[in-house]
Amino acid sequence: MPSLKDLRNRISSVKSTKKITSAMKMVAAAKLKRAQDNAEKTRPYARKLSEIVSSLVDNNKSKEFKYSEKKTKKNKNILLIVCSADRGLCGGFNGSIIKFSKKLSEKIIRSGYKVSYIFVGKKAYQSLQRYCGESILEFFYDIANPSIKFDLAKSIRDKILELFLNNSMDECHLIYTEFKSAISQTVQSMQLLPLNVLDANGENNSNRSYDFEPSEEEILNEIIPKNIAIQIHTALLENLASEQGSRMTAMDNATRNANDMIDDLTLFYNRSRQALITKELIEIISGAEAV
Amino acid sequence: MKQFKLEIISPNEIFFEKEIDLVIFPGSEGDFGILKNHMPFLTSLRVGIVYIYLDKKLIETFLVTGGIIEVSGNKCSLLTEEIINTNSVSSETVTDESFNKDDTNLKKMKDKALKKLYYS
Repeated sequence: MPSLKDLRNRISSVKSTKKITSAMKMVAAAKLKRAQDNAEKTRPYARKLSEIVSSLVDNNKSKEFKYSEKKTKKNKNILLIVCSADRGLCGGFNGSIIKFSKKLSEKIIRSGYKVSYIFVGKKAYQSLQRYCGESILEFFYDIANPSIKFDLAKSIRDKILELFLNNSMDECHLIYTEFKSAISQTVQSMQLLPLNVLDANGENNSNRSYDFEPSEEEILNEIIPKNIAIQIHTALLENLASEQGSRMTAMDNATRNANDMIDDLTLFYNRSRQALITKELIEIISGAEAV
Repeated sequence: MKQFKLEIISPNEIFFEKEIDLVIFPGSEGDFGILKNHMPFLTSLRVGIVYIYLDKKLIETFLVTGGIIEVSGNKCSLLTEEIINTNSVSSETVTDESFNKDDTNLKKMKDKALKKLYYS
């Protein structure tokens, strides 16, 4: 049985842990609000652009253009962009991204294709570093300090377009966590390249016949890179919001667990203290009786 | 004069949204203006100045570094990654190092566009 001193020490250590977790929860809640606002702000731009792209691609289904699939090659090189957080202590957030990426890359390797990676965020990089070996092309971290810049998305976009156009990469997927609400997030992969023709959404805008200047193809070739950049940007923003949301719930749970633990320990402490007192009393009484 | 809606959207915000009379854009194939009931139109922009008119008066001028224009219905949307109100920049600030880290070519183009605005 632990001594009373041990119990007291444990209670105070759980109490200070609780202070840290509840503070982290508050911070995460504040950051979540900001991250959500930022994600909200990019939405009109992203929606409008993808609307234009899908209506254009819809009209050009049969034609082949610069960013459509190259059907000639057999041995595909697939690029995965893995977005994770820079820090831990956010529940299953990083774990599920890592698991998802591993599963996806194993599936690709099994079908005989080559995989390469770009990492955004330290956590996935650290744990997949050994697994990926030399196929890591680039690694970005500390992106959300103080806020996620659009330039980052642009530089990732430039990199993948360069690879795509000089034929060293044939397919590009972005792995990120979709933010549904503060308590529910799901890991997702989104195909950036080649352009997913099936992606065109249900509402049919194709009857809008635009007048183009210069030509439809040139416009399309200008819009698509812009669309990829904004897709990456929104994914990064959603990822950040998800990270904060998941940290908030994790820290909330931790605080609650600490409370339960403190209750249990205090009860145990009081009980053993009482037991000690009773024992002492019995000893005194029985000693007095023996005399 | 009847009006139509112009919205300017950047990745960070809805930059401008208003009913206006006329807007003049620096199109990649030459400047052009949009009035109400324009036919569906899709084009790209070069670096230059956007002029916005309401009640026959120039109300706003913006410096853009490119973008996409979509006109459909009685609505005109400009999607751009970089847009600045010309009141907040002058020709000097554009050439200033601290203003941005753009390559000199882009800087020159911005400078030219602004100079043209000030001497017109």
